[in-house]
Amino acid sequence: MLTFGTPGFLLAGALAALVPLALHLIRRRPPARAPLPTERFLAADPRTAIRVSRPTDLLLLALRMLLLILAGAAFARPVWLPGAEGTSKIVLLDRGAAMAGGDGWRQAVAAARQRLLAADGSPRGELVLFDTGAVRVPRRRVTAALFDSLAGARPSASAARYAAGLRAIPGAAREMRGADSVRVTLITRPRWGGWSEGIAPLRRAVWPGAIDLVALPDAPAADSAARDSSAGEAKRAVVLAGPDATAAQYPVDGLRATGWTVDLIAPGQPLPDSATLIVATGRVADAPSGAITRAVEGGATVLGDADASLPRHLTPWVAEPESDTLATAFWLADGSHVTGASSRADGHPAAGAAVIAAWDDGEPAAVARRVGRGCAVYLGTRLAAGEMVLDAAYPRMLERLARGCSSPGNAVDAGAPLDAGARAVLAGAGARAVAASALPSAGGGVPLGRWLMGLALIAALAETFLAYRRKKAA
Amino acid sequence: MSASTDFLPPGLLEHLGGLDIIAKTVVRGFQAGMHRSPLRGAGEDFAKHRDYQQGDDLRHLDWKLYARTDRLYVREFEERSNLQCYVVIDASASMDYGGAGSVTKLRYASYVAAALSHLMIGAGDAVGLAAAGDEPRLLLAPRARKGHLHDLLLNLERLRPGGTGGVAEVLDRLGAAMRRGGRVIVISDLLEEEEDAALVAAAGRLRARGDEVIALRVLTPEESGDTPLEPGLFFDPERPARAVPATPRQDAGYARRVAAYYASLADRLRERGVEYVPLTTAQPVEQALVAWVNRRRG
Repeated sequence: MLTFGTPGFLLAGALAALVPLALHLIRRRPPARAPLPTERFLAADPRTAIRVSRPTDLLLLALRMLLLILAGAAFARPVWLPGAEGTSKIVLLDRGAAMAGGDGWRQAVAAARQRLLAADGSPRGELVLFDTGAVRVPRRRVTAALFDSLAGARPSASAARYAAGLRAIPGAAREMRGADSVRVTLITRPRWGGWSEGIAPLRRAVWPGAIDLVALPDAPAADSAARDSSAGEAKRAVVLAGPDATAAQYPVDGLRATGWTVDLIAPGQPLPDSATLIVATGRVADAPSGAITRAVEGGATVLGDADASLPRHLTPWVAEPESDTLATAFWLADGSHVTGASSRADGHPAAGAAVIAAWDDGEPAAVARRVGRGCAVYLGTRLAAGEMVLDAAYPRMLERLARGCSSPGNAVDAGAPLDAGARAVLAGAGARAVAASALPSAGGGVPLGRWLMGLALIAALAETFLAYRRKKAA
Repeated sequence: MSASTDFLPPGLLEHLGGLDIIAKTVVRGFQAGMHRSPLRGAGEDFAKHRDYQQGDDLRHLDWKLYARTDRLYVREFEERSNLQCYVVIDASASMDYGGAGSVTKLRYASYVAAALSHLMIGAGDAVGLAAAGDEPRLLLAPRARKGHLHDLLLNLERLRPGGTGGVAEVLDRLGAAMRRGGRVIVISDLLEEEEDAALVAAAGRLRARGDEVIALRVLTPEESGDTPLEPGLFFDPERPARAVPATPRQDAGYARRVAAYYASLADRLRERGVEYVPLTTAQPVEQALVAWVNRRRG
């Protein structure tokens, strides 16, 4: 099947070929002077003086038209694609260090196996393993034995770079055989970094479709298992009101909307022992006398916002001077998009902190870090200010922040709170299964453009040679 | 007679080498193609009978007289010793025309001149060379020695086309330079735009003083209209400033006008006793000469 990446050039070439045709047809040239001693016996023919048909120019005309048509066809990026039906699959399997925890690696291998092996064990696509670099496994080597050996092996000790895997996509698509479309799936434990640098090469290849993401859960933490086992326990929270007690009502209502039992207490009052979540809004310090710290070390989660005055060990964030900047919106791991934040705290996550929400530009918006058996969560904006509190996603945001350091769950898919680069890759520009006809831009099939350009060059040389000879003969 | 296919086309002759070889080749073909040699005895006139003596060539016995008188007589001839002959080559610019894929008229004329010179010197005649072109020139005085042929061929090789002709002026000069009773062979396209009358008159004057004048007209098939030309802007090489846009292929009257011109010229020449021989460059030289001589002998 012959396809064209930019078929417009084909039409342009055809139209351009009409130009020399028109010029040859309308061009008037004086007849060639020829000696003839018996000229005196000729009868003058005025028509001859105006125009003389030169059939020898037909070859020149044909060469010129051929040159333009070939050049147009070459620029149209023609690609020969093998005629086949079905969808070939490319699976990017993250084998970085992040896959080591828990059962993640085996799950990842199982997910890849499910996508790449048909019921009869025949391969349905290509496998790309990546960590700091990418290794492409040819289709013929994608076998059950390969997955068995992968499951038995351990992931790499190095942190994977998404860019390495993303860059391997065009090459893998180029090797596509026996299918008229291709679908790319990325199996990983999603992380924040390393996406954006993979965008440029993928964009250069103009990958026309989206990429499926199979997000595996994070490695289980020591207390999260306990928390998971106590899923049925009552969710009890306290909101420590700052000077503006009215504003503190927003998180109270938000948490209650998600099933929490919430107490609003003033600073200085004792914390109830049953509280598993402590929300500090406004200028709230660890008072009285380290009660919050003790509660967190005992397993509770403390959620502080940009205005909270919690001790450093309860604030997994390193603020920058002149920290407040205009904020827009941020994403949460469950896909919630929260808008209307009143401020944005500049800075960066403290050591050991995990990013659990990100601004639209990919910068961290919320982080969490383990403190004892509990968790300290920091939100880089005011929790009870701005139009954010009126956002429909506000209760879900509170719910997600309340989960603190626990697993984000395995429901992360396209639209997860990844950075802008990650979202661009995952969203793509078109369908998830990219039609083969659209693959030339990604390098699929056999490109014919260079060959056509070579033929055009030969035609140009022949035209030049012929035109020179014509001119010399004249 | 040899088959016509034995004759070499002018284009092929050109590849043989110098005029010397070409002349010999043409003469060989010419002699093979002849019924009888045209020049045998051409220089001999009957003088008288004498009694046969032992040792006389029996070929000279007059058998008819023997039948009537029953006596043996031998016919004696008076040899025309050292006939003076001039070959006049038209080397004007128009003779540089060759048409498509053929030799030029000047080259063809050189072949003819070389072949005739070869034959005539071989027969003991003195042959000279004159040319018309940039200016009328008497290149070589008539000589009969064998080595003269080499000089003659060398001069033919050196001829370069140019000028507007002036054959009539050359003929007038010849009239003053050669003795009476000679032979003048003019090889030309005879395209004398306004001087054809002068040409006819000059030839007539030579005839009047007893010279034999032969006009060999050389023309290409393109000029005669036998091979149609592509449309173009045509000019006479002798008058390049004037050009005529024409489509000869569609000009049915062109060949007719050319033929009429030469027919008229031939008539006027013949009226004055000049032998007019039309030649075309498409015809092998030796074939043309054979045809001419055979026609001459009736």
